[in-house]
Amino acid sequence: MSNTLSTASRPTQPGMTSCSRTQTPSQARTGKLFLTLPLGQRLPLRFVVDKRNLIVNLSLMGLLLLLTGGSLAIGSAATLSASATFEALLGQGSALDNFVVRELRLPRVVAGIVTGSAFALAGCLMQTVARNRLATPGIVGLDNGATAFAVASVIGTGISLAPPAMALTGAAVAAALTFGLTGSIGVRGYRFLVAGIGVGAVFGAITQLMLTRVSIDAANAAYPWTVGSLNARPAHAVSILSLALLPALLAAIRLTRSLTVMRLSDAVATSLGVSTSRCRLMALSVAVILTGLAVAVAGPVGMVALIGPEFARQISARNTVPVVGATLAGAIVMLAADLLGRVILAPIEVPVGIITALTGSPLLLWILLNPHTRTTP
Amino acid sequence: MTSFMNRHADSSVMGSLRACLRAATSSSPVATWGLLMILLAVIALLSLLFGAGDVGPGRAWQALSDFDAAAMHDSEAHFVIGELRLPRLGIGLVVGIALGIAGALLQAVTRNPLAEPGLLGVSAGSAFAVTLAILWGADAATLRISVAQLGALGGCLCVLAAARLQGIGNDPVRLILAGAILSGLLHSLSSLILLFDQYTADEIRFWVVGSLAGRDAADLMPLAPSLALAALLTVILARPLAALALGEHVAIGLGHHPRMVRLLVIVVVALLVGGATAIAGPVAFVGLVVPFAARALAGPDIRRTLWFCLPLGPIVVVSADIVSRLVVPPSELPLGVITALIGAPVLIAVVRRRRLPML
Repeated sequence: MSNTLSTASRPTQPGMTSCSRTQTPSQARTGKLFLTLPLGQRLPLRFVVDKRNLIVNLSLMGLLLLLTGGSLAIGSAATLSASATFEALLGQGSALDNFVVRELRLPRVVAGIVTGSAFALAGCLMQTVARNRLATPGIVGLDNGATAFAVASVIGTGISLAPPAMALTGAAVAAALTFGLTGSIGVRGYRFLVAGIGVGAVFGAITQLMLTRVSIDAANAAYPWTVGSLNARPAHAVSILSLALLPALLAAIRLTRSLTVMRLSDAVATSLGVSTSRCRLMALSVAVILTGLAVAVAGPVGMVALIGPEFARQISARNTVPVVGATLAGAIVMLAADLLGRVILAPIEVPVGIITALTGSPLLLWILLNPHTRTTP
Repeated sequence: MTSFMNRHADSSVMGSLRACLRAATSSSPVATWGLLMILLAVIALLSLLFGAGDVGPGRAWQALSDFDAAAMHDSEAHFVIGELRLPRLGIGLVVGIALGIAGALLQAVTRNPLAEPGLLGVSAGSAFAVTLAILWGADAATLRISVAQLGALGGCLCVLAAARLQGIGNDPVRLILAGAILSGLLHSLSSLILLFDQYTADEIRFWVVGSLAGRDAADLMPLAPSLALAALLTVILARPLAALALGEHVAIGLGHHPRMVRLLVIVVVALLVGGATAIAGPVAFVGLVVPFAARALAGPDIRRTLWFCLPLGPIVVVSADIVSRLVVPPSELPLGVITALIGAPVLIAVVRRRRLPML
């Protein structure tokens, strides 16, 4: 009896060597796949993967690749054909094409992908923790806090810390303020968001205050951080964010199961063995780190944190927290918005922050005002 | 003997201070109101005395004490006070009264202690309308004012109508969120327009921060008719609003028309906020802080609250303006920054309360 049970619960057979997928009828019904990495029987490394999420994520990845190609090829300077873009990317095109693609567009596309992913992942985690679809880092004041500190480090003479470190500190301070100030009323309701708006307003005012105090040159240097743009971003900030993104994504994937259970209620989660406070703290720290570092690259483009997870949630499986999907969707939204901003008023470049705000705000209003939508993610 | 004199003087000073405090906290609202008026006068005087420039308080006081003579022997002080600080004080008074009263009216009509023109999309609506108007080549002051007022009306009606249609009017916090989101949307639309047009951007850059600096006192004149209309309507509407606070049925029973009253109040709010925004630019949070303080002093009756907003609005705006001049002496801060720094903590404090007080 026990023997049959154990074979049923362990679908991998000894003979399978490569990455194998096996389905039992019950798994087919629930749409789950068991992926096993070929590490032998000693170290069984298995993932439970939702079939629908797998398909969704793969197609999102394809879309992202397509958009990356498009962003590299299309622009106001020259629109290249696919083959020309590829040649220029490898450094084998004409000198001008090489320069445009490799020096101008490639860093920008990379910055767009990492910031979009970071914002959206942070948004997904924070929405899940606050159990409110509207609770994105931007609304809760993290973006403004990070911006204020980044601007302080750019224009401040006494502070020589790099903008990423300062932005991180700012995001952490804003998060601590918002969550600390709303301690007694909880993070569930709309009041939490209004308190976040208040915190954000304070930091916004501080940013303006600093911008009016300094000379026009220093103010111009700090300007990109106030609107949100991908134009000529500092390379070291991009690399720091890229380094942080992978561990953050892994941590988020690890948290996914706990977060999924926590969507039900704290009591259920606790009885299933999830340490709710630890899980919440981890998810929040990841969100704060990602938001701070992403703001240091692109400025406050907070609406991506709403659009990306929302998009992913619409197409992913109902009963999961779409961590990977939200990350990919955020990168897609960011790239698409940046591409749109570059071509829509061709000689003028519309900052990506404006495009995302124009598309994100109506979505936000729709969620808020539609009586039939659930507010929990 | 001297010590006795000193003690006597001391006790009289302390006594008068104590009397002031007692009057301020006593149940007599008239005395409190009088004290606020005195405070306003003092602050107005301070705003004439202090500034970012070379004319310090001592010189300004001398020039003020003999204003005509100052034209001869200290023409700089005469000019600074007469041409720069006095108009600025006047604009500050008008803006403060308009925003304070508008906030109180809006909070009464939405029955929402958080309703603030800046948060409900009223200021953003008028700012957006002015941006559009400047883009299309309107720069006459009169046109700008009426456009700003129309924009304010549009923004306010948008938020309230959406809230009413979707049935979230009963949830104060959701209404504020909707307004804040709409404000953000209009703000980014304005930025988009400004990207189009460098000339408009240049013209509007100084206006959009919200400040009393460099505004023209002549701008006040075209504002006078609409402000007078708003004042008249406020006087007429105070009683029906007080009745509405008891509930719609009671108000109908007392012979008022709630729907009509609401619509008119929104028009008044648009007139006031649009006018103030046209002059000083969007100044946030005054409409939240002032009625908040006024209710704390005057109690729940809207008529008393309005009376108290009359001195409190200018007190907040003019003292914020003084601070904005003094913090970084050679240059100035935008007024909106100071009011946001004061107002956002008040917003958080109101939200933190376990039960939101329903108006």
